[in-house]
Amino acid sequence: MAQQPMQEPQSNTLKLILAWGFVGIPLAWGIVRTVTNALKLFR
Amino acid sequence: MSFLDRDRTIAKPGFSRWLIPPAALCVHLCIGQAYAFSVFNLPMTKLLGIAQSAPDDWALTDLGWIFSLAIFFLGASAALLGRWVEEGGPRRAMFTAALCWSGGFLIAAVGVYLHNIWIVYFGYGIVGGFGLGLGYISPVSTLIKWFPDRPGMATGMAIMGFGGGAFIASPLSVWLMQQFSTPTHVGVAETFLALGAIYFCFMMVGAAIVRVPPAGWKPEGYVAPAQPKKLVTTRDVYVYDALKTPQFWLIWAILCLNVTAGIGVLGQASAMSQEMFPGRVTVVAASGFVGLMSLFNMGGRFFWASMSDLLGRRNTYFIFFALGTLLYAAVPSTGAIGSVVLFVIAYGVIFSMYGGGFATVPAYLKDMFGTRYVGAIHGLLLTAWSMAGIFGPTLVNYIRAYNVAHGVEKAQAYNVTMYVMAVLLVVGFICNYFVSAVHGRYHMKLRQAEEAA
Repeated sequence: MAQQPMQEPQSNTLKLILAWGFVGIPLAWGIVRTVTNALKLFR
Repeated sequence: MSFLDRDRTIAKPGFSRWLIPPAALCVHLCIGQAYAFSVFNLPMTKLLGIAQSAPDDWALTDLGWIFSLAIFFLGASAALLGRWVEEGGPRRAMFTAALCWSGGFLIAAVGVYLHNIWIVYFGYGIVGGFGLGLGYISPVSTLIKWFPDRPGMATGMAIMGFGGGAFIASPLSVWLMQQFSTPTHVGVAETFLALGAIYFCFMMVGAAIVRVPPAGWKPEGYVAPAQPKKLVTTRDVYVYDALKTPQFWLIWAILCLNVTAGIGVLGQASAMSQEMFPGRVTVVAASGFVGLMSLFNMGGRFFWASMSDLLGRRNTYFIFFALGTLLYAAVPSTGAIGSVVLFVIAYGVIFSMYGGGFATVPAYLKDMFGTRYVGAIHGLLLTAWSMAGIFGPTLVNYIRAYNVAHGVEKAQAYNVTMYVMAVLLVVGFICNYFVSAVHGRYHMKLRQAEEAA
């Protein structure tokens, strides 16, 4: 089958920001909390 | 429900493939909670006594079975239902995983409320375990199909989420228990209910976003290599035919050995750091060390799986086993010279490769068996994880207990363990050496492949 190019219209940018923010923000929060605790190892 | 049908998830022109990793992460970040289940252990031993355990309260040994059952049913469900996941499409699998995972929490909440451990085993361990298995494999083949140019990176991103889920679940669970607890009530049942509801919503967002590419779709500008690599097939192997190949069992052994070595010391990391550096690593610092190792475990999933796209899957595992052998053998020396920094660095790299082993294996399977049934074959392979979950901790605990019983000092009791783990990795290196291309007789015939597609 011929290649179907997938363009990325403007609406995709908003969807991408929302989708990545939805998973990225909680993950970043968890990582920051873990790093803060881990720093106690070197104090 | 037609909303769940595979046909309804075929992407329309203009869909960005970069929406698929967050869809996968919606599922993996939720099911990664399993790694943080231990935060409930202590509160669940005081459900009746509240301030301290009452005689009828559950013991830690009773509670340990909840996590073990969940991991066992993760492997079992992934192996049994892999083909159903592959043929039903990712949305149906993610929806079912969300129902099982959140349903498991709801049933477990009833078990906690009634103080019946068997209901908790059934809820979190069995129903939730099925959610774990279905959720774990549901996005794998979809990601590989959307990212034929970077399959390692794509699956690495999702499986990184499984490692990262505990970072969210652990503080969230503690916070929820604080909100629901009263002087006469621990608040575990309500926390389970809240987590079940939150995870269901989060996973459903993933199910709504996920799409499969149209047949024959390729990324813009992507040209498949004219000269296929020796260890990367362009043909597909039927899920149950993969079991007949030596390659499947070699990769099974590779995953099992890599995970056995990592999981064995993962559970002992806190105690090991304190006993190897007595007086220097406190209980608080040890918990920070465990958190740091979890970060390396998570980061390694993305880093090594992405690197495997450049280095090749076999070479990546050669690095895991060669470097891992050296580092496991070097850990006792870090204790002997009293260097906490070297100890942490060695462990950091070891745990990055432990996570990397999980995340690189779907792409290794894709290279060997093609994309059509890679999710289902991955499901079968996860039985290696279940096996390693039993082998690893048992081996470490037994060796340590044997050494201590024979008068070896606690600080040195882990040395033999490290050397045994190094030997396991040498065996893994040998298994990896024998991996070659799958024989053509196992490839699906063209007509079969078209019917399956």
